[in-house]
Formats: sequence, structure tokens, C-alpha cells
Amino acid sequence: MSNAAEQSQVVLNNAVSEAPGIAGSSSMDLFYQRSHFWGRLTLFIIIIMSLMPPLYISFVMDAHPGWGVIGAGILGYASFIGIMWILEPITYYPTLGVAGTYLAFLTGNIANMCLPCSSAAQKAVGAEPGSQKAEVAGVFGIAVASLTNIIILVIMILGGTYFISILPPFVEGMFGFVLPAIFGAVLGQFAYRTPKYGIIALVIGMAVLFAPIFSLIKIPICVALTIAVVLFMEKQKGNLNG
Amino acid sequence: MGDILQIANSTVFWVFAFIIVAIVAFQAIVFLWIASRSAGDAGMNPTEVKTAIRAGFISSIGPSFGIAIILVSLIALIGSPITLMRVGIIGSAATESSAASIGASAFGVELGADAFPIEALAAVMWTMFIGGTGWLIVTMLFTKSLGRTQEKIQKHNPKIMAAIALAAMIGAFAYLASQQMITSLSHTIAGIVAVAAMIVMMKYADHRNLSWLKEWALGFALLIGMTTGYLTTFIL
Repeated sequence: MSNAAEQSQVVLNNAVSEAPGIAGSSSMDLFYQRSHFWGRLTLFIIIIMSLMPPLYISFVMDAHPGWGVIGAGILGYASFIGIMWILEPITYYPTLGVAGTYLAFLTGNIANMCLPCSSAAQKAVGAEPGSQKAEVAGVFGIAVASLTNIIILVIMILGGTYFISILPPFVEGMFGFVLPAIFGAVLGQFAYRTPKYGIIALVIGMAVLFAPIFSLIKIPICVALTIAVVLFMEKQKGNLNG
Repeated sequence: MGDILQIANSTVFWVFAFIIVAIVAFQAIVFLWIASRSAGDAGMNPTEVKTAIRAGFISSIGPSFGIAIILVSLIALIGSPITLMRVGIIGSAATESSAASIGASAFGVELGADAFPIEALAAVMWTMFIGGTGWLIVTMLFTKSLGRTQEKIQKHNPKIMAAIALAAMIGAFAYLASQQMITSLSHTIAGIVAVAAMIVMMKYADHRNLSWLKEWALGFALLIGMTTGYLTTFIL
């Protein structure tokens, strides 16, 4: 065995078993191959597992609400979330990379946990954004965040069950206002850069709410009107000239 | 509400929750392995690997507790294991609470109402679980081609896409907030205070570059809105 052959043998050491014959940056190719394989497999398993709880309550516990109700619920939700199914993976992909995307969309809390942890890990090792080093460092950041989050959530949720059983009355009284507070807070989170849009959307929301229209299409109508108004105002400001 | 929580907290749902949490943890460990194997080739030395892991750990503690605060409020509505599964997979308290709310009204009841039949819980679960698979399916099928898609959208007009996505979320949550706020004057105040508290905190965090405040802002705004709403019941 010549020296050159021995060297290439070392370089290809990791790659040789699963990707024979790929030269150059073959071990990073292996990183992407493994990421796609394990990412897709784990997502597929979770998708199948996501069908189990609703199927169970409908057909084993015999509490099927009817396909019409289910369809109305999913359609109402998809009317404003559906666009996020496609836009969020596209939006976050450049920051997360291949492996980071598979990780973040499975474990969730992308904007408030995965992205900050990914960039913290990248900055901690001084990786250039968009480099392979940044992508791998980001994977360490998100994977560790995912594990930490699971551990904290499991502890809090086990403690939370106990916590709820000993709740003093005033806390229960406070939880009576949890829904307006959550929805208001999220509205604020998205509207804080342009509070005007938040106020306009609230006015549209109230108008649609009291309008004599079929209640299931009220959310899509409110969303469509808000999109139209925001696009119009952005256009007036000249912000949309690509 | 008590009966429905007994069903929602039954052993079967804990088993489902355990399996789903285990898959998420398994995936994280597999990717730690994949990254470790390629760290050297990507130009990371073993010290840098440790640094990256520590940074990820430290940065995740704040957000995780922020998530947990909101999570406790969802437990009261749909029980512990379902909350754990939803926060475990797609995991945003905001999207899941809106899914729950929409699922309940599709059945014709209000989330958290006294008369909440098991069929309504089923409607809530279908909406949350099927609704949540949207991201999973898109990610599973299209991550490979995302790079190319991204380039096309950016070329077309990235500003229009961003404005549409932002307006869609604002419009949806403005409607959901309105729906809650018309329940009573205290609900109105809770909603408005939460919006205001969030805007003030986010603006302040931007101004002073406080990333920790952004992590905690949703939990804080929720607490402030809930407390104010509750306190007004003594005055109004």
C-alpha cells in the first residue's frame, strides 16, 4: 500500500462503509446523508404517533365527535396556521440548516428556544454564519436544548399536576383569564414593531366577530382582511418594492 | 370540567405522551451522535464541541422555564399528558391553545366550560394533533429541496412573503383575542393589558438588547394579563 492510498484511506475512513466512492468533502456528505435519513425517519414515526391519541379517543373510548366537526376544527385552524406550515420551515432553514430543521420542527419552540440556542452555540465557537462549522455547532446547541427542555417540562408537568391540586382559589380565579391573556400576549409579540397593525387587526376582529356571517369562516375572513390592509399600508410606505 | 380532566389525565394518554417524548429525546441523541462524528470534518475541535454543548444548555434554561409557565395554564384546560405531547412535538403554547379553542368551538362549546363532553375533548385533540402534523409533513418531505425553494421566494419578493406571514398571524390572534375579550369587561382588560405588556417588554428588550427578556416576555405578559384581569373582578 502506497502512502497516497493510505492517506485517502484515512480520509475516507468514516465514509467508506455507507458512501463508498465519494471523494473530497465526503464526510460532510455523510453528515447530510445521515441527517436526512434520521430526520425523515423520526419525523415519519412522530406523524404516525400523532394519529394515535385522536384515533384512540374517537374509536376506543367511543367518543367520536363526527367527521364534520373534526373537519371544521382542522379547517378553521389551518386557515391561519396552514400558511405557517410552509413559510416557517422556509423562513428558518437558512439559520437552522438541514439537521437543525429536522431537530427544531420535531421539538418545537423554534423562535423562542431552538433559534437562540443554535446561534448561541455558533457564536460560542466563533463559527461564520452559513459555514459547515456553524451548521454542526448549531446542531449541538439545538439537540442539547431539546433534551434540557424535555427534562424541565417533564419535571414541571409532574409537579404541575400536584400544583393544580393544591391551588389556592385566587390562582384558579386568575386562570379564568388565561385565554385572553395568551392571545393578547401573542398578538403583542407579533405586532410590537408596528403596534398600529395590532390595533387595526383588533378592530377588524371585533367587526368580523359581530358581523352576521357563518362563524366557521370568521377567522379566515379576519386573516384575509388583515393581510389586505397590511399589504396595502406597506405598499403605501413603499416597503414592498423587492 | 373535573370529569373531562380525569379522562384527559388517564393512563393511556400518559403512555402516548411517554412514547412521543421518548422519540423526541431519541432524535436529539441521534443528532448529537451525527454531529460528533462530523465535528472534526467541519473544523470543530473537541473543546469547541464542549463549548457549543454548554452554550446550548445555558441558553435553553430560560426559554424552557418560560414555556413551563404557560404550560401549567394549559394543564387546567386539557390535562397534563396532552399538554406534554403538544408542547413536546410542535410545542408552542400559543398555537396549541388556539387549536384547542378552535376545536372546542367546532364542537359548539367553549374551552374550559363547565359542560364539556368527552366528544368535545376528542374534537380538540383531532384539531391539535392533525393540525400539528402540517409542519412535520412539510419538514419531512421538503427539507431536501428547501434550499432551492428558498432561493426562488427570495428572488421573487421576500418582503411580500414576510408581510403576508406577519399579517396572517396578527389577524388570527386579533380575532382569537377579540373573541375572548367580549366575554366580560375583566376579560377585555386582561387581553389589552397582555398586549400592552408584551409590546412594552419587547420594545424595551430591543432597545437594551436584552435577549433574556424576549425569552421570558410571553410568560410575563401572560401573568400580568391574568393578574390584572382577576384583580379587576374585585372593582368591577
